[in-house]
Amino acid sequence: MLRRVREFSGFALPGLFLYGVLVLVPIVWTVVLGFTDRNRFAAETNWVGLQQFQRLLEDDQFWLVLKNTFVVTAIVVVVPNVVGLALALLLNRETRLYRLLRAVFFTPVILSGIVVSVIWQSVLRPDGVLNAVLVDAGVTDAPRWLSDPGIALFSISGILCWQLLGFCVVVYLAGLNAVPQELYEAAIVDGAGWWRRFGSITWPMIASSVTINTVMLLISGFKVYEHILVLTNGGPGRNTTASIAFDVIEKGVRGDRIGFAAAEATIMLGIIVLLSAVVLRLLQRREVNL
Amino acid sequence: MAPRWRGAVAAATLLTVALAGCTSGGKSDSSSAGGPVELTMLTFETPNLPASLWDSAIARVSQKVPGVTIKKLVTPNVDRTTYAKQLASSGQLPDIMMAVNPQGFAEGGQLADFSQDELKDFASPESGAINGKIYQLPTNAQPQSLLYYNKADFAKAGITAAPKTWTDFLAVCAKLKAAGITPIAVGGGGQDTFASMYTWVGTVGTDVYLTDPKFSQEIADGSKTFADPQFVKAADKVAQLAKLGYLDKQGTSRSYADHEKAFRAGSAAMYPMGSWFASSADNDKPKFDVGVFAWPSDDGKAVVPNLTGGGLSVSAKAENVDLAKKFALEWTKDKETSDAFTKADGTFNTIAGYQPPADMGPLFKETLALYNQAVKDGTVTPALSIEQGDNGLPADLTVPIQQIAVELLNGKSDAQAVVSKLDKEYAGLK
Amino acid sequence: MRSRLEVLRPIAAIALAAVFFFPIYIVVMGMLKPADKIQSSPLGLPLQPTGENLGAVLGRSDGLFWSALLNSVQITVLSVVLLTLLSAMLAHYLVRSHALWTKPAMLVLLAGLMIPPAVILQPVTQVLGAAGLMNSVVGVVASNVAYYLPFGVFVFSGFVGTVPVEIEEAASIDGASRFRLFWQVVFPIMRPAAASVMIFLGVWVWNDFLTPLIILGPEAGTTVTVGVYRSVGEYSTNFGTLYAFSFLASLPVLLFFVALQKQFVAGLTAGSVK
Repeated sequence: MLRRVREFSGFALPGLFLYGVLVLVPIVWTVVLGFTDRNRFAAETNWVGLQQFQRLLEDDQFWLVLKNTFVVTAIVVVVPNVVGLALALLLNRETRLYRLLRAVFFTPVILSGIVVSVIWQSVLRPDGVLNAVLVDAGVTDAPRWLSDPGIALFSISGILCWQLLGFCVVVYLAGLNAVPQELYEAAIVDGAGWWRRFGSITWPMIASSVTINTVMLLISGFKVYEHILVLTNGGPGRNTTASIAFDVIEKGVRGDRIGFAAAEATIMLGIIVLLSAVVLRLLQRREVNL
Repeated sequence: MAPRWRGAVAAATLLTVALAGCTSGGKSDSSSAGGPVELTMLTFETPNLPASLWDSAIARVSQKVPGVTIKKLVTPNVDRTTYAKQLASSGQLPDIMMAVNPQGFAEGGQLADFSQDELKDFASPESGAINGKIYQLPTNAQPQSLLYYNKADFAKAGITAAPKTWTDFLAVCAKLKAAGITPIAVGGGGQDTFASMYTWVGTVGTDVYLTDPKFSQEIADGSKTFADPQFVKAADKVAQLAKLGYLDKQGTSRSYADHEKAFRAGSAAMYPMGSWFASSADNDKPKFDVGVFAWPSDDGKAVVPNLTGGGLSVSAKAENVDLAKKFALEWTKDKETSDAFTKADGTFNTIAGYQPPADMGPLFKETLALYNQAVKDGTVTPALSIEQGDNGLPADLTVPIQQIAVELLNGKSDAQAVVSKLDKEYAGLK
Repeated sequence: MRSRLEVLRPIAAIALAAVFFFPIYIVVMGMLKPADKIQSSPLGLPLQPTGENLGAVLGRSDGLFWSALLNSVQITVLSVVLLTLLSAMLAHYLVRSHALWTKPAMLVLLAGLMIPPAVILQPVTQVLGAAGLMNSVVGVVASNVAYYLPFGVFVFSGFVGTVPVEIEEAASIDGASRFRLFWQVVFPIMRPAAASVMIFLGVWVWNDFLTPLIILGPEAGTTVTVGVYRSVGEYSTNFGTLYAFSFLASLPVLLFFVALQKQFVAGLTAGSVK
């Protein structure tokens, strides 16, 4: 018995304790705060029930921020996934050249969001590289990538896609290489064309890669923050590129409305948990157990 | 094999823990009896205000205040008020802060207030008061938006005199446009959303604050909303400028530094900006001569939107509040520091008897003359979103206003849409 | 037909990679150019490469880069080592133990994989503040360990399954305590998992922005990633120096990746072919 306790305290307790105190407790705290009117500078905090949630749902800016988040997340879940698979198929050879090319695509994955933003800022500035190229090519009214409210959100989504593409490529490559060659050989013997082989063998067999990539992209897209902070600070105009994570930090950490931001954070948590659960469920059903 | 490798890991962990212990920060316990008190001071660095400027000022003033060592903290970007809030939220409010909007902090009891006696040398000791008390030393008067212009461009368009009324101003813009010159430069891109405000600050100064200096208080007590016709008119003026194509479309993509760079490279004829630009232009002359005039109201008054404040605040929770206050006051009174900041940032120090250095550049002198004239004529007004304290707007409204300003400049929102957005944002703060 | 496609493959691959890499090329080249050249010929090669930008960053009077580098190294090494150990042990315990609470505990842990940091940042600062750990490397490390624990447990729990129970039972019969059992028998088998966990966590912790920004605060210095953010405002007119700072801040993790490329990829492979 004593030994069991000692083992527990040695093995499990430290991790569980830290997780409990610095993750679980804060989650509960955030949810609870959402039911108060806590303001950074107010002397007292009162319980206000669902009032913060109500105000959130009535606030146009909240829906705008939510829409932005969904747009970015949708783009980030689909584009690097699809392009990543295509690239993995293209780069699926084992020579030195292809290993180098894979490293090239993977490099942005290991850069920080801040550095990626710095890189793209110099490309997308009005007098930056991209517009310089366009102007040389004869384009007269070069788009204002980061300051046109209609384009800025897509620019940020594109930058995120660029950063995450390499991850998908590598995961898909691993998945592709795990497919037994015999299956392909048998299919060729049966006269199946490339497309047929892809649809019947490749696609089902890389299901677990699809799951990993999709979930990873979903979580990354949903929590986007640094890129927005550096490139547009939530603008141009009112909140046109602000994501829900950005708004929570703006209001709750850099601003004063702690209760309001906590309610928003609670909604954010609810959405990502729900989305992840649904996506995971849908995708894992497809996975084939070898 | 396993035990050996395990030992290496354990050793590495111990070593790094030890190192971490040595260098981990946290408020050091310097208040051992008799030792100097360590106070943290929050500063911000801009191209005008580099680290060397702050360091030398801190060193100089520290000598005047025995018993204090200053630990300098730097805001990661220019928005020091937001950063101070972020620090406050984790219980790390610095002891001394430069040019941080005291609103919110003051009402929450986080700042120490200065007594009338401590303020006796200041020319406007009531500026920026919150609930009647002063939480930020009203050190500097600094015009927040004036129309700096490229004299060569004006000459090219055949403009002989600075516009006196708003109609004249529109005529000047039309002439410039006809000559193929973009009339007005605007900013607000990247992280520097604040740079979007300066045109709007001007029109709100002429159309709202000039006749109704208490407008912000009326918003606060509910007797007026942003939908007030005068405010709508001011917003509409900016919308009209955008519609007529007088604003530089590329402007809202530019960071603050790029904004100034672009004007210097001739992107537009006029550059609405605060008086800190005068110092920048004097210290590093552009290729063209720069003139300046104030914002013309409909009836020909020359309006100077201004902020008197921008000084130091002291945390109420500082280890030694009196010493911190003493440091703050000495900083403000130190002629060399004041001279350095005046030279760097074009501020007009309001300590009684202070005279700016004689070798200030011509544009600074012109700006100062404009300001003094406006003081005489009573045409100094608060600056929208910049004015603090009882006569300003809530600090949490600052970034929303700046972002909404970008919509005005882009032509994305018209005046009606803008004021209703503002009213909604304001209501959301209650 | 087949061979024609094969000829196109490397051409297409190289072309795509070149376009993809272009932004990075601009920054790396820009870092080696003097200030005026960056504006005037952003696309060109640095004909007269200069080390002045790199030098400006490395030789700053306030030593920002070096102190930030030290902080980053400390935080990353501590976080990664602690995380690997704690999550390996916890994963092993949860998988092997047959107590009733372990299954739900595992679920709660894995749910933590999707928590966005923005949701818990504010309360975490309160908890750390109450423990007196704000503004310290230890505080950042604690927060990192808690936050990334689910990932470690996720990877290790998959691997624990591959260790045959018989080996553990055999050792246990021989009288080994759970502790000895873990260290001498189980962990060595899980080395590949440990490698990929350490690599991923190393990269994520090094590149972390919000946590060190808010928890480390200005008093205890910054990390190298937060330092890049500061440079954006500071070097707003001097792109070459900004690029140099970004490059130097990413260099350690890039070298790390190059050195451990094989394990990196193997780690991802192992994860996807569960």
